[in-house]
Parts: sequence; structure tokens; C-alpha cells
Amino acid sequence: MVDLNDLNIDEDFNEEQMRAESDDLLELRYLTKDNAVFERTKGGFVSLEYAGKKYDRVGVYRTFPITEPEEYISIREADEKAREIGMVEALSNLSKDQADMLREQLRIRYYMPVIEKVIDVKEEYGYAYFQVKTNYGVCRFTTRMGGDAVIALSDCRYQITDLDGNRYEIVDLYKLSVNERKKLDLFI
Amino acid sequence: MKLLYDLKDECKKALCLKENETIWYCVPFDLVYDFSERLAKEEYTDGEAYLVVTEYRMMVLCGTTVLKEFVLSECKEIKCETQVHCGVVVVTDDEGKHMAARFSLRHITRVAYVARGADVLVQGLNERIESHEYETYCEKCGRAMPGTSKCPYCDGKAVVLKKFWKLCKGYQWKLLAISCFMVIASGISILMPDIQQNFIDNILLTKAGDYTDIVKFVLTMLGLTAALIIINVVRNWWCVSLGAMLSMDLREMLYQKIQILSISFINKRKPGELMNRVSRDTAQIRRFMEEIFGSMISTIVTMIASLIMMLTLDVKMTFYSTAMIICAIVITRLFWRNIHKIFHKQWLRDDEMRSGLQDVISGMRVVKAFGKEEEESAKFERLSQNFARMQVKNETFWAVFFPILMFIMSAGSYIAIYFGGLEVLEGGMSVGELMQFVTYTGYLFGPLAWMTHLPRSVVQMITSLNRIYDVLDEEPELKDGEEAKAIEIKGDIKFNDVSFGYNSYEPVLEHISFDVKAGEMIGLVGASGTGKSTIINLIMRLYDVNRGSISIDGIDIRDIEQTSLHSQLGVVLQETFLFSGTILNNLRFVKADATNEEIIRACKAANAHDFICKMPDGYNTYVGEHGYNLSGGERQRIAIARAILNNPRLLILDEATSALDTESEFLIQQALERLTAGKTTFAIAHRLSTLRNADRLIVIDGHKIAEIGTHNELLEKKGIYYGLVTAQLEMAAGKEADENVIS
Repeated sequence: MVDLNDLNIDEDFNEEQMRAESDDLLELRYLTKDNAVFERTKGGFVSLEYAGKKYDRVGVYRTFPITEPEEYISIREADEKAREIGMVEALSNLSKDQADMLREQLRIRYYMPVIEKVIDVKEEYGYAYFQVKTNYGVCRFTTRMGGDAVIALSDCRYQITDLDGNRYEIVDLYKLSVNERKKLDLFI
Repeated sequence: MKLLYDLKDECKKALCLKENETIWYCVPFDLVYDFSERLAKEEYTDGEAYLVVTEYRMMVLCGTTVLKEFVLSECKEIKCETQVHCGVVVVTDDEGKHMAARFSLRHITRVAYVARGADVLVQGLNERIESHEYETYCEKCGRAMPGTSKCPYCDGKAVVLKKFWKLCKGYQWKLLAISCFMVIASGISILMPDIQQNFIDNILLTKAGDYTDIVKFVLTMLGLTAALIIINVVRNWWCVSLGAMLSMDLREMLYQKIQILSISFINKRKPGELMNRVSRDTAQIRRFMEEIFGSMISTIVTMIASLIMMLTLDVKMTFYSTAMIICAIVITRLFWRNIHKIFHKQWLRDDEMRSGLQDVISGMRVVKAFGKEEEESAKFERLSQNFARMQVKNETFWAVFFPILMFIMSAGSYIAIYFGGLEVLEGGMSVGELMQFVTYTGYLFGPLAWMTHLPRSVVQMITSLNRIYDVLDEEPELKDGEEAKAIEIKGDIKFNDVSFGYNSYEPVLEHISFDVKAGEMIGLVGASGTGKSTIINLIMRLYDVNRGSISIDGIDIRDIEQTSLHSQLGVVLQETFLFSGTILNNLRFVKADATNEEIIRACKAANAHDFICKMPDGYNTYVGEHGYNLSGGERQRIAIARAILNNPRLLILDEATSALDTESEFLIQQALERLTAGKTTFAIAHRLSTLRNADRLIVIDGHKIAEIGTHNELLEKKGIYYGLVTAQLEMAAGKEADENVIS
């Protein structure tokens, strides 16, 4: 029988298991067209068969969502812990069908509309009301008139965050008309 | 937050509701998901898409078509999952997981509540969940809500002004006096040009009077001016005191209300937000009373009276001048908007420069360690240059255009002089009347700049009032029931199928049932975030359970007076909170009439007497803000003494001995043993050795009770607790082995 008086440890965790887990995290596993098979599920997700294991649903994550949207795609378990199963180095390395499957999942996961046209920007009492046309269609959103509502990703690429936390992207500011740029003048 | 939107009749029809089927939840969503292609489309729904939940079904409705239908009795789980800047509802049934809807963050909170509501139905519970969160946008006007429950532009305005008026009623005599003064001041301002006109026309031009008339005129004007000054001084003084009194009243009301409101109300808000409401919003009211209210009535009365006087003097000229005023208003508005714009940009640059500076200064060690000083200097130089350039540009603009604006504002008088001059020459108007007229135009043009700011100030004040009244109108969630009574607690505690979550869409505890006999010590064990502290919060009744009940000595906790319950509770928490003041004050906080002997006894029992005596000021030692002049162990022991002094029937120890050195832990351990003897105690500890005196242990895992029993029983079971104990023992053994190797 163990005597509790012997105990005097700060953390309660299983060391061996933790060590095994952290070793596991260290390894960089690539999923290729030879070792992994993705399949669409009936419910609109994607399943994976890899290393003799079948995952009913996997999460598809971008690791460089802004700079490299199609490279280093992390495939993760679909539960809360979301442990990494492996990485796809580039979607173009997979067969077209398999790559498309993952692209569909990325489209579910990522929502970042691109602003194509600025229709109207109105400022009133500390808030700015935007009406824009994005690749999703015409949309209205509101931002605070603070410093971090609009940030520059590069000289011509901008990102606007609205009150709810949605992000809108301007891919190239100079492709907008002079008039549209003037409407954004206050923020850029 | 609204969870049940109204549907148009034709949309409702599309749902084909059965006879006894009603809509429980109905919320909009905005992104298109194509079920036939199983594809997320880059497209917005046209604003007519709703997620509808009834007793039996969950439906995805788009216009008048039901895109997808899930029968709740066939589902296993319905869940809202957060994605990147969007969310999805996922339904699990026998066939696996299904996409149900996709939406942007604008709708996520609402949909998360509804998904949880649907899941509650799926689990077979017939309960409706509610959301107490405020809307982010006004439903009527679509404006963003500045942290208020009602839109300050729509319904908020009238309601809040009425309430404010009620508050002002206490000062109605002062208000009346101020208003009278304002009217008198306006009257004098209007009267003075009239006297002047009389003097010019009837005395100077006709040369009919002598020096006594001049003396009379000068004395009258002098008297009136002096009266005006005195009235203004008194008025300002009263306005300032009125503003101060009102904001003081509001501050006190807010403070009292916040004390009454339950912890859940306070926890739902950021700490700074409530502070802001108490300090910044009340200050806004004060500023409004001082700066705007004081001159509002008199300015408006003066302007109207001037206009009337001008009309009686000459209708045509009044027409020209008012036309000019409209021009001036338009120009002023444009000017201020532009000024606001360019200075906002300057402010952004300034902000950029500041944060750049802060980055470098706080990251100086990193910058130096990597030898990046030059790059960083160049970066900062660029920011600084940007700011300077912007500043020069703006100041030039200001310097050039402000005088021009001033000129335009006074141009009205020149036009009046031109047309008036013509009239005088033609004999239609006297010189005195012209002078009088010009003075009145000055009255009209003068406050224009101020007038353009008026709407903004009024909205700011109404917003602040709204934010204040949102707190004042909040009903405390935890009210004593009508039957509530004070009881003498013996210490039997019973949890009867308790479920609870801080947000109703996110359960923290589910179906917790256990019995504790008076005098028992219970240890709560489990990984962090599993709900141990939540159990304790429920026993302290900082929150009410969502389902089930907690009873003390057979009486439901909701039927016990809160003051009676709290006076018999003793609490020692991980992070001890001491108020700034002396040790004595902190001890007397729980029992104001404790004698010095009682205090010393309590401190001796808590092993605190010794270190207190060694301090130069003994029990009168000032502990500093939050008690930072003392070490963690010392603060802890004072907290224990505080609990002993209270002589509680129920004791709660939340990580009371973590993060202490071995010696103070031993002392505290001893103190705790004395404290807990014979009292019902709940203790949370990561270090299992702390719980060696516990009569029984409750292991919490996955929102539920995983194991319950004595130390030995749980070890024999070889479950979670066994795992925790052996892991800690192994670590201890490993440490010892390492130490042996080193030595």
C-alpha cells in the first residue's frame, strides 16, 4: 500500500507517457499519395487511412494561411486535442482528386473574404461602417475606429478586422480605384 | 441575445410543422453550404437563411426551402465547432458526422447557444436555454452597440433620458434656478443692443442729450455687463456642482449595485469595463453637465430671440443673413470632418510610433542579444519620420484653413453691413438699428462651431447613461427566496444531480450527486479545468445550479439567507487577497468586534503570531496593496487566521498550500489541521499529500464524478486516483535518484 505521506510532488502527470508524447510531437511525418488515402464522408468531411489506422474524420489546417495557403497542410485528429497525424508538404504533390478533397475542407475551415470593391465607408461616433463587395458577395461590416482594426500585411496588402472578429483582406490596394482608396483613406 | 427570430409566414409554411410542434430556436446564419455537392460555397446567403430547432427536428432553412432536416431522436450529438473566423454546426448520428451549417463570427455566439439548446433536446431533456449576452448590433438601425443592452440611437434615448430626469428631480430647484439664470442672461444679451440703438439714434445722432445721458448710458451698460458676468459665474458654479453631485450619485448607485449583483454578472464582463462604467462614464455625465448643459439653453434661447429681433428690424436682411448661416454651417461641418479625418490619421501614426517604441524598449534584451540595434533604429526612424511629416502637413492645413473658416463665420456681418448700409443711405433703417442688427448676426454666427459638436456630445452622454443604467437595471440573479431564512449550519451537505455551466451552452459539471456528513473532510481531485473550483463556487453560492439542487442540513441552499450562509463559511484560497491596510484591519474584516485576545489566539492557531510579533509594527504592520509587503506563506497564514476568527461551520480550501516552501507548508499544514477539526471541509489540492487527512476523496473527470471513496478504497480500485498517486510517487523516486547521482 502506498503511503500518501511519501508524496511531495508539484505536478501530477505520468512522466513516461508525457515523454513518449513529446517524442511523438517531435517527429515530422509527411502524408504522400503512397502512404495516405483520403476519402469524402457522407456528412461532408474527409476520412483518412494512414499507417494502418482509419480516422473517420480529420481536421485540415493551414500552417501558413496567409503566405503559403497550399503548402504544409497539417492533418489533425478531429477531437478537442487535435493531435497531428501528419503533414502534406504541398497539395500539388497529391493526386488531383485527393488534393481537391482537402481544398474543400480548407474552404469549410477558413473564412477570409477578399474585398474586391469598396462601395461605402461611413464613420459615426467611434465606429466605421463598411459596405464592400467581396468574393462572397456584397457585405456590410463594422469596425472600431481604433488603431488595430486595419493592419498592413505588406505595402499593398491589408487586413481589416470587424467587431465580431471576422477578417477581410485587401489583396492589392492599388488595384482598387482612386475613389475607393480615398474612402479607405482614414485607415491606411 | 435573441434566439428566436420571427419567420415570414411563407417560410414557416415550408417547415411543415406538425400540430403539436413549435419552434424553439430560430437564428440566422450567413454562409452557403451546398448539401448536394457537399461543398462550402464562397457565397453569402441572401439574409433569409435560418437554423430552426423544434421539439423534434433541426432544420436548415433557406428562403422557402428546407435544405436539410435532422430528426433529433436519431441524433447523438449536435455541436457548434469554431473554425478559423467562422464556425460550423456538426451533427453526429449513427452514420457519423454531418455538416449542418456554416456561418461567420457574426453569428457564432447565437448559433452556439442554439446548437447547445438542440443538444439538450437530443439528450432527452425538455429544457430551453437562454442567453443573457447583449446584442452587438442594433436590430432596428444596424449600428454597433457600444456595450449597452439598448441602442442609444433608437429606443435607448427616450427611456434613459426619462430615468435621468428622475435622478435630476432631487435637484429640481437648482435646475430651475439655472434655467432661470440662463433665460435672464439671454434677455440681457438681447436687451443690450436695443439700449445701444436707442442711445445712437436718439441721443448721438440727434445731438439731443447732454453728458448726463452719456453717463446714464455708460452706467446702464456697465451694470448690465456686470450682471451678465455675475449670472454666468453663478450659473457655471451651479452647473459644475450639479454635474459633480449627479455623477457622485450615479457612482454610488453603481458601486452599491455591483456589490449586490452576483459574481456571474461581474465575471461575464472584463474587470476594466465595470471600472470604466463607474469612473469614466460618470465623469462623462459630469463633463456634459458642466460644459454643454450650462450653455445649451442660454445659447439656443439667445439664438432664437436674436432671430426674432432681427425679423422685427428687417425681414429681407434677416433672410440674407440666415442664407449665409446655412452656408457657414455646411462649410464648418465639412471643415471639422476634414480636420477630424486628418487628425485621426495623425493619431494613427502616433499610435504606430508609440507601439514601435514600446516594442523595442521592452524587447531591448532580445534586440541587443541578436545585435539588431541598427535595423531597429532604422525602423523607428521611418515611423518617426512618417509621424513628423503628417504632423507638419496637418498643422499647415490647420494654420491656413482655420483663419479662413473664421473669416467665413464673420462674413455674415459684412454682408449685413453692406445691405444694411444701403438701407441706411436710402433711409429705410437708422444707424442704431444697423448696429443692433449686426450685433444680433454676431450672436447667430458665434456658437456655430459649438453647435456642430453638440450632436456628438449629446450622443456620448446618452451612451454613457445607457451603459450606467444597464448595470443599475440589472436584476441580481441570486436573490434570497421569500422563504429564505437564517440557519445555524451543522454541516451536512448533499449534491442532488447537479448540473452547471458558466454559459448555458457550455456545461462544466453534469449530474453530480454526493452526500457529505457534518465534520467530514472531502478532498477534490482532478486535472485542472475539470470543475473542482466550480463545485466550491456552488457551495459558496456564488452561482446557482442550472439543474438539480444543493442542500445544507436538508435545506435547499437557495432557501438559506445569503448573509447567513456566508457568515458561516471560511475560505482559504490559493491566491490570498488582503486589502491594503494593516494586518489588524484585515483580520477584523471578518469580525469587526473581535477582541485583541481573540485575534492573538486565532493567529497563534494559524502559526502567524510568531512572524507578526517579529515585525517592527506587530499587528499594526501595513501590508501594502494586495498585501505585497508580505511573503506568500505569510499572507496565507493571515488568511487562515481570518478563517479561524470567523469560526466557520463550513471550510473551503482551494489549493491553500501550493507554491510554498517546505517549512511554511509544514506550518500551514499544521494550522489547517487545527482549523478543520470537526468542521465540514472541502479541499482542492494538486499535491495529493495535502489531502492525506481527507476522510473521502472525490475524483472529477470529464465534468462528472469519476471516483469517490476513501484513500484506500480508491487505491484498490486502481482507477484514475491510483494513476495519479503512482505517477507522483514515481516522480518523487526519480527526483531522489537524480539527487543521489549528483551527490
